[in-house]
Amino acid sequence: MNVPVEFYLVLSTLLFFIGVYGFIVRKNLIGILMSIELILNAVNINFVVFNRFLFPEKLEGYMYGLFVIIVAAAETAVAIAIIINVYRNMKNIDVDSIKELKN
Amino acid sequence: MEFLTAYLTANNIIFFILAAIILVFGFLSVTTTKILRAATYLFFVLFAIAGLYLLLTYEFIAAVQLSVYAGGIVVLLVFAILLVKNLGEETEKVSCQKKLVSAIAAISGVVISLVTLFGFGFQNNESADELTANVNMETIGHTLMGVEKYQYLLPFEAASVFLLACIIGSVVVATNLKKEDKK
Amino acid sequence: MIETLKDYYSGFAIMNQELTLVLVLIFVLLADLFLGEKGKKNLQFAAIGSFALATISGFTVSFGGSQEAFAGMYVTSDMHVLVKNILNIGTLLVFFFAHYWNKNENRNQSGEFYFLTLSTLLGMYLMVSSGNFILFYIGLETASIPMAALVAFNKKNRDSAEAAAKYILTAAFSSGVMLFGISLIYGSCGSLYFDEVANAFQGLPVQILAMVFFMAGMGFKISLVPFHLWTADTYQGAPTSVTAYLSVMSKGAAAFTFLCILFKAFHNYPEIWQNILWWIIVVTITVGNLFAIRQKNLKRFLAFSSISQAGYIMLGVISGSPLGMTSTVYYIFIYLFTNLAAFGIISNIENQTGKVGMDDYNGLYGTNPKSAFIMTLAMFSLGGIPPFAGFFSKFFIFAAAAEQGQYLLVFIALLNTIISLYYYLLVVKAMFINKSENPIPTIKSDNMSIIGLGICTIGILILGFISPIYEYMTSISFGM
Repeated sequence: MNVPVEFYLVLSTLLFFIGVYGFIVRKNLIGILMSIELILNAVNINFVVFNRFLFPEKLEGYMYGLFVIIVAAAETAVAIAIIINVYRNMKNIDVDSIKELKN
Repeated sequence: MEFLTAYLTANNIIFFILAAIILVFGFLSVTTTKILRAATYLFFVLFAIAGLYLLLTYEFIAAVQLSVYAGGIVVLLVFAILLVKNLGEETEKVSCQKKLVSAIAAISGVVISLVTLFGFGFQNNESADELTANVNMETIGHTLMGVEKYQYLLPFEAASVFLLACIIGSVVVATNLKKEDKK
Repeated sequence: MIETLKDYYSGFAIMNQELTLVLVLIFVLLADLFLGEKGKKNLQFAAIGSFALATISGFTVSFGGSQEAFAGMYVTSDMHVLVKNILNIGTLLVFFFAHYWNKNENRNQSGEFYFLTLSTLLGMYLMVSSGNFILFYIGLETASIPMAALVAFNKKNRDSAEAAAKYILTAAFSSGVMLFGISLIYGSCGSLYFDEVANAFQGLPVQILAMVFFMAGMGFKISLVPFHLWTADTYQGAPTSVTAYLSVMSKGAAAFTFLCILFKAFHNYPEIWQNILWWIIVVTITVGNLFAIRQKNLKRFLAFSSISQAGYIMLGVISGSPLGMTSTVYYIFIYLFTNLAAFGIISNIENQTGKVGMDDYNGLYGTNPKSAFIMTLAMFSLGGIPPFAGFFSKFFIFAAAAEQGQYLLVFIALLNTIISLYYYLLVVKAMFINKSENPIPTIKSDNMSIIGLGICTIGILILGFISPIYEYMTSISFGM
């Protein structure tokens, strides 16, 4: 007998909100990026598990999971380029040091 | 007890182990003060999620997860950390008040979501196992490259433009201007 | 069944505008490669010229009804074509204003500027025309992630780097939140096609939760309060041409997509999202206005003004009727000319003197009467003073909301319009009445931005009186 889909949902929901917590609390830009990776992975678990246990006739959730991974990779690459650019300008990547714009 | 023994198959035990790994290391990776350790914990989480996909018999997406996420993104993150930080340096301390407020927000989010999710009563599809056994590379290839309903040629093509734009964008942003000026 | 290669690719046949844009993209890429260092000047003309041709060719596309390709993955109709044409016009105007910046400061990266801008435009096209959440997601990300690279284009400027970091992190976070909502919609409805979601949507608690997550994600993109925190910093730090692009095109495309998805996928239970939107609109318009009053930097000022304008755009969405769609698209169309006129003046002055403060504009009328005049028109139109175009767009959008009985909402929006008049007039007062010790010297604009400003001025002055535009939109709009 398989684990009910709800166990997987508990897992993904907890992981999602761990990511949200990290996004709010983290001060290091790379740390924030890692929290976002956790969020995207939680979402991916959701898509794949719904596909596997609820709607196995079509591969919709499966494909969504694949596309999320593709997009996440590209997004991380651009974000890291930007973070390195921030570092080059300020020699620091903490959120506190980039608060200058607020008048 | 019957309820318990019904669930105590090898597959389900592995699920619980993987879930524990994902949650514990996920939590550690957002709370640890050393950023390189956070990246290591994140690696464990991503690895365990790939294991979860294998457990669901979706081998292809598990392989993609391993190669793109665990193999690509984490390496990229570690490079970035090594480029911008001294090894082992601690990140700034976060005030307890902020931690508390975000923890309360996150926990209430979990509670609200779970209550509504359980209220819906998701039911496993009885024939899920048989239907999933048919998912092989050929099906995946046809789904990704087909033009009929439930096939995804157009998003696939759009993703190629997206990736090209992202490559160009990150190269432009990451190029060092000082070198260009010297030329 | 799929028999031959021709059948296989026949879906691309109705994607005229997308294919034209892809051709322009490839052309810009190759031109950048082969023209080299010395051909930078020609590259700009090649890019702007080819895109202008694409814009013109977009007006020849017509379907006469709604059409599908790839079995419902891609949806189009005359309204979609019109929205894409509007986006084209806006992008072309941004190119005119960015010409000077690309010629001097951004010389080394001008090819990349055109390529990235056009690829985000392609993302918006796909997002607008999507009939499935997967294509919508890919389009949304194509429209927002290369945009983050554009925001970081001033690499020596700390503000630009910071703005880009804020933009990409909030964009990624918001799409994560939105995806969580979409995953729950998928789990509870069993499909990702909008029409099938509409059939399976029953207004259950979990579906409402999913919709809240989804709306939060879209709220980030359209910068609705309480998801607006990135807007001011990003608008201020980004290069001015990119800010103009971000504030008009990005917002307009996201708003129209949001409207389409609400109309197509969630039309069976409109009261759910209307109740959520009601509060969002009230808070968005009010907070945007209250913060705009205090701003001293013009780019930051326009950021808050654009937050409040996004609230007005949502007034058309909440009505859920064909009239609502007409007035939303009409509002975006007018807002484009108005906001781009303001940004055109700001970028002109910033490029040549580096000044963006409100105080720097004191006495602008004495030295640059034409610029001051156009800026005044833009401010009057943003504030909704008759007889400028902004008045008509506000009038129609209020009418659309009032038609559905949203009288209290319209009343609150009207009160806010009066507050907004105050701060828009502050800019006018600075330019015409305030005296300054060292006003901005007389600047000489380049030809491209003069053309752009001319088009914007004509748009503000006469678009409100050309009723066929509005009638045409009415004839092709559709409701829930």
